[in-house]
Amino acid sequence: MTLPIALDAMGGDFAPGEIVAGARRAVDELGLKVILVGVPELIGDPLGLEVFACSEVIAMDDDPGLSVRKKKDSSLVRAAELVRDAKASAMVSAGNTGATMASALLRMGRLPGVVRPCIATPIPNPGGTPTVLVDAGANSECTPEMLVQFALMASVFVETHYGVTSPKVGLLSIGEESSKGTPLVKASHELLVATSALNFVGNVEGRDLIPSSVDVVVTDGFTGNVALKTLEGALKFVFSAVISAIGTNDATKAAGDVLLEYLLPVANELTPERQGGAMLLGVDGICVISHGSSNATATMNALRVAAEVDAAGMVQKLKTAIRPDQAA
Amino acid sequence: MSADTATPLDRAAILVLVRDQLAEILESSPSDIAEDASFEDLGADSLALIELVEALEEHLASYSAGFHIDDEDLEGLVSVRDAVDYVAVKLQVA
Repeated sequence: MTLPIALDAMGGDFAPGEIVAGARRAVDELGLKVILVGVPELIGDPLGLEVFACSEVIAMDDDPGLSVRKKKDSSLVRAAELVRDAKASAMVSAGNTGATMASALLRMGRLPGVVRPCIATPIPNPGGTPTVLVDAGANSECTPEMLVQFALMASVFVETHYGVTSPKVGLLSIGEESSKGTPLVKASHELLVATSALNFVGNVEGRDLIPSSVDVVVTDGFTGNVALKTLEGALKFVFSAVISAIGTNDATKAAGDVLLEYLLPVANELTPERQGGAMLLGVDGICVISHGSSNATATMNALRVAAEVDAAGMVQKLKTAIRPDQAA
Repeated sequence: MSADTATPLDRAAILVLVRDQLAEILESSPSDIAEDASFEDLGADSLALIELVEALEEHLASYSAGFHIDDEDLEGLVSVRDAVDYVAVKLQVA
């Protein structure tokens, strides 16, 4: 019997309405099984979906680790426990990212050998498979060994989910030369070169994120988060500027009518809601972190990704990648 | 093992427990964890500290039913020694 995906119905800017609507779409359009986890009185109409009732909600500004201890009956903690107890196949949340990670880590546990879980975020690569940026914000302070693990885990995710054989891995730096970068980058470069299980192609720069010639871009969580938010802000600005320019006068509007037919598919490819959120890699279970502003479409896609990586046996593959000597 | 039948703990055993749990969390060896090391020096962030606290609560429940480390006290635990002393005081061991 297929286990349902535990969906945190309380997390995100548009929860619970858009989250529940997204779950309904996932059930109706994709045939997925979903269980909503949340406070019934706040969820309201669950649209015919099963609800795992809890009484607390971790807020966006709650301390991630402490909130898991203080709010043991929160939707995030309960969702992670459902996965831990094999009552759900995965968990999905658009809520507090730090608390989502803390819930998964403290309840599901780390995979053997993993120093720290990381967040792997797909960046759209128009015309190709997305480039996965890792770590996108879980760990500000990293060691070279952690970056190697991030690269290994992200490579498994890319192979499993996007079907890319031997994903190319690039190390984010300020120049292609191996002599460039911080002490962490230089030391990580050496280790990555020495890791035969990886298809490490060398350093890449910020401008190589989109479009990209690599499948995985590895960096520390602080840099990764800055890069991601910079990209998001820049893309948003460009879209907004284009739309504004089109609306300038009758001539631009007429031109816009022609251009939009070609621009909209590109814009659609670049919107985050199509990507299905970020993966938390390194915990003993599947945890998808949706964007905080997830609407119903984004929620549905996050659930889709969770189901797909579960069906592909990603967690077992991650275990093998980190501890090949203990492969089943 | 119930609280009534567990072998009494002493400070040395608490130190072993703290070092073992921290080593597992940090993917290192207990021998690399000195008693006077700070969590910061060991690379243990706030989440690692909470992992440690939860592990200690689980392991020490057999020695003292309902053993709990107060969240308000976490800020004061900055080193391995702090954690060992805290637990020792809570369990009233020498």
